[in-house]
Amino acid sequence: MKRLMTFNGVAAMRVLGFAVCLASAATQADVVAVVSAKSETLSLSKDQLADIFLGRVSRLPNGMLAVPIDLAEGAPLRAAFYAKVADRSPAQMKAHWSRIIFTGRGLPPKSVATSVELKKLIAANPGSIGYMDETDVDSSVRVLKSD
Amino acid sequence: MPNARILAAALLAMTSPLGAVAAEPASSPTLSLSGFGTLGVVHSDDDKADFTSSPFQAVGAGHTRSWSAAVDSLVAAQANLDINQRLSAIVQVMSTQNYDDTFRPHVEWANLKYQFTPDFSVRVGRTALPLFLVTDSINVGYANPWIRPPIELYNLLSITTNDGLDGSYRWQMRSASDTLQAVTGRTNNEFPIPNGGGSETADSRRQLALVDTFQQGFTTFRLSYGQAHLSIPALDPLFDAFRQFGPQGAQIADGYAVHDRLIRILGVSASYEPGDWFAMAEWARINLHSVLGEKTGWYASGGHRFGQLTPYVTYAQAKVNSNTSTAGFNPADVPPAVAATVSGLDSALNQSLASLAAQSTISAGARWDFMPDVALKLQFDHIKLGAESQGWLTNLQPGFRPGSGLDLVSVAINFVF
Repeated sequence: MKRLMTFNGVAAMRVLGFAVCLASAATQADVVAVVSAKSETLSLSKDQLADIFLGRVSRLPNGMLAVPIDLAEGAPLRAAFYAKVADRSPAQMKAHWSRIIFTGRGLPPKSVATSVELKKLIAANPGSIGYMDETDVDSSVRVLKSD
Repeated sequence: MPNARILAAALLAMTSPLGAVAAEPASSPTLSLSGFGTLGVVHSDDDKADFTSSPFQAVGAGHTRSWSAAVDSLVAAQANLDINQRLSAIVQVMSTQNYDDTFRPHVEWANLKYQFTPDFSVRVGRTALPLFLVTDSINVGYANPWIRPPIELYNLLSITTNDGLDGSYRWQMRSASDTLQAVTGRTNNEFPIPNGGGSETADSRRQLALVDTFQQGFTTFRLSYGQAHLSIPALDPLFDAFRQFGPQGAQIADGYAVHDRLIRILGVSASYEPGDWFAMAEWARINLHSVLGEKTGWYASGGHRFGQLTPYVTYAQAKVNSNTSTAGFNPADVPPAVAATVSGLDSALNQSLASLAAQSTISAGARWDFMPDVALKLQFDHIKLGAESQGWLTNLQPGFRPGSGLDLVSVAINFVF
């Protein structure tokens, strides 16, 4: 019952906006972690983001189910995101998920090909978290502040 | 009360369409297929015995073949069926060297999983006994830094699967999580008898394992406890023979027989993997309360990533804490007519005790992630057998020297698909 109320409560959450990227001095544009503009999650620490995307935790700090969304394997932004948040290379991430998949403990985040698709999914679910090029951010998503 | 609460939660989870995963869009059953494998060769410079990576393997590198592809090579395919958001099924079929020197595929896993909440799941069927950090991914070379996990620890317990029930609950804190897994069930394993002597069955019942894993950032700690009742029927005739020689024989048999014997294992693991480097160490002690002895194993391993290249070093050690020989019958209490027979029994028992594995290995190697989903590894090992011990070597030949040392060179390609 409590879980149901949490869900309904979150669904009715007010809209707020905040933005700060996970800074990078890389030559390409910065990769930023984003949530729905309707999400009540304003900020996550680097460790919290890593935990969610590595499948170590299932919930956001507010108790809501976290739904991480990846860009497709091989996408440079995906590599940049994991390098920043988890200090891991694409091969290390693949090894990490191999360990989980082949022991039946879980499956990696759903992945999409473009930030347009990502935004669509994120808009549909206040628990979704993704990442994109800073220049692709629009009013439908909010860039997560890093605690 | 706790039972009632769990039942209520289960009923709620099963009847309510708006459970914890309700935030995800409804989905129809989805099937995903994946797999992994290793193509590897290993060379041993000791041709008087075989090096194998587990006691399940009939042949290895050294005596049977100077370079063996049968030690590390394997291939596995896995099907995951997500029936709905809570119920999923998994089957993994693997082909690896069997006890009879074939590569006949077998079902490594087959279970149904019910995800009551994102943090609580129960599995029924065949699962892993996840006592150590990589026990459940021991065959997935791509997931591990080395060509093979240190056998000084990972061979301590040859029971790696569980046919039964497995529950996992995860507590989440702000920046850490703790997962408690409880496993109960049974396993039957077939082991080769050295030098083509056929095979023997190890029957492990009433298995119980409790594994607690704490994770914070790059740090993982694991504490595990396991117990089981183990029988190896092939050893019964030896101890039945002991029992025919009075109370003294019965006492020896009671101490050493492997018949419904309670075995216990305790393990501690730690790892730190900040990304550019890793360090991990594990320690375990197993007491088989029988001719199989009490043993301790541990290892420490570390590596550093330079782009796609990750060199690593490992030191591992296994020792036997229990006696590796016994006086057997007191000659004064043995009638001269049967002296030869009981001395034969004593020597058979002592042979078993002496074969308990003590050894250490120092390893150095590198992993090269030269293309997506494929890793190439090269590893050198120097194994030092414990005094008078054959270590984990098998298929011993005349001229083999217990307590000696040997070198291995291994090359492997790990892949996932």
